[in-house]
Amino acid sequence: MTAIAPAFHAPSSRRVSATVRIHLANPWAIIVTPWLITVAIFLLNFAIWHIVLMAAGGKPISPDAFHYNGGITWLVFYMVVVAVQAMNQTFSFVVGLGATRRDYFLGTSLIFVGLSLMFGVGVSLLAGLERLTDGWGVSGWFFAPGAFATMPLWEIAVIYIVGLLFMFFVGSAVAAVFVRWGSNGLLTFFAVVALLVLATLWAITQASAWSSVGEFFTSRTPLELALTTVPFAALGGLVGYALMRRATPKG
Amino acid sequence: MTAVIEVSGLSRHFGKVKAVQDVSFTVEENTICGLLGRNGAGKTTLMRLITGQEFASSGQIRIFGENPVENASALSRTCFVRETQVYPENFRGKHALRAAERLFPNWDAEYAARLATEFNLPLSRRIKKMSRGQRSAVGAIIGLAARAELTFFDEPYAGLDAVARELFYSHLLEDYSNHPRTIVFSTHLIDEAARLLEHVIVIDGGSVLMDADADDLRGTAVTLVGVKSAVDAFAADRDVLGADSVGAIASVTLSGLTDADKALAVSSGLEVAPVSLQQLIVSRTRGTIQPEEARS
Repeated sequence: MTAIAPAFHAPSSRRVSATVRIHLANPWAIIVTPWLITVAIFLLNFAIWHIVLMAAGGKPISPDAFHYNGGITWLVFYMVVVAVQAMNQTFSFVVGLGATRRDYFLGTSLIFVGLSLMFGVGVSLLAGLERLTDGWGVSGWFFAPGAFATMPLWEIAVIYIVGLLFMFFVGSAVAAVFVRWGSNGLLTFFAVVALLVLATLWAITQASAWSSVGEFFTSRTPLELALTTVPFAALGGLVGYALMRRATPKG
Repeated sequence: MTAVIEVSGLSRHFGKVKAVQDVSFTVEENTICGLLGRNGAGKTTLMRLITGQEFASSGQIRIFGENPVENASALSRTCFVRETQVYPENFRGKHALRAAERLFPNWDAEYAARLATEFNLPLSRRIKKMSRGQRSAVGAIIGLAARAELTFFDEPYAGLDAVARELFYSHLLEDYSNHPRTIVFSTHLIDEAARLLEHVIVIDGGSVLMDADADDLRGTAVTLVGVKSAVDAFAADRDVLGADSVGAIASVTLSGLTDADKALAVSSGLEVAPVSLQQLIVSRTRGTIQPEEARS
């Protein structure tokens, strides 16, 4: 399509690190807001636990009452939004000023890895605190609920980090679609994804394979399941980069 | 001399729109080159192509002898500042300058701070809350203080008032003589910028209309005024850029006149007046599109 085939050139470490710093110039969207909302959701849950205990009138309730909680999953899924916002806001600026798309993507990937480590380790530390306080004094499990309750903390950290990485790099592909084709591109993308999901469900039903699908999930530990997403995270990153390589900055 | 930019047979089509059409030219090292032309002529697309931000449909581009696309070593020697520069949400003036400091290896922070004071730029204001002039100033400061070997200004001062524009021009000239580099800038304020330019490339409808030394262009075009018959007789077989007549009096703008030609015109009883770069370009581009309104 183009007469000008880009040759390989080494990335500029200066511009990779500049990209990292530009993402961090405004830490609200990528660091502060996710933590604030996480804390807010936790405090809401904490209040609800107390309301339930009050309603029970101080009578002992089942020790498992507050064992299951999905509040923290918002943080993991929200990373798709963080990825799209971060890339949409900085791509045109950084590449517009003369950085290559590769430098930009490398710097952005470093940010995503850094954020995954920060949120993953942070949530695990809070899970540790949760255990130390015996579920915040009310046997409430928010940061390591359900099946996580008996896992070692390092395992919890790995699962969060891997899950966050998956969301970030899937997010990078979504962001690349948005940067290149705008909201219409995004709508088309999600329509295609929805159709693919439907087709998969149909194919599984057709093949009467639901029992093996179930077995896939039940025969593996949560850690093993989390690790199966790693190749998909890598794929998301590759797709994101491939799409970004042909993107042009706005303005 | 070394060519910093070499473009040959370059085209960029967006569907049916031929934004850039078979363009070839070179820009020599350490010169100030004006990329002139009407709005929509293809100036911005051309600069985006040269800085590897846009992809060519066909043709070749070399900066510092290399293909700019995804070329970190060539691109880190360039800086491209445009009037419509997009800044990240919530960026303040100081964030933009700090980001530029990290992107450009030759950045002079002290100079940038001085320019910000001179341009009266409120560095802690959010860029999206800035006036058009202040936003333009952010771009102008980045372009100057980056001291990139190859700097592109795409009408970066369009929002600046006359005083700030003068400030920009004098800083550009001063900094250029202290730190020689190659500067390409597009403008439609041709007369204002004319004194800065050493080389002029005029783009019209996506193609190169003129590619010449500014001095050559300035010297060769003149307007002759006189009796219609004498004007017509002199203008015959010459390169007529424009002609006008009121009753028996006619005027004609010609290019490519030598000093002897001018003397001949005077002896034929014609009044010889120099033509500004702007008039020259307006008369050249009028053929395809009406000249744009002069902007204040």
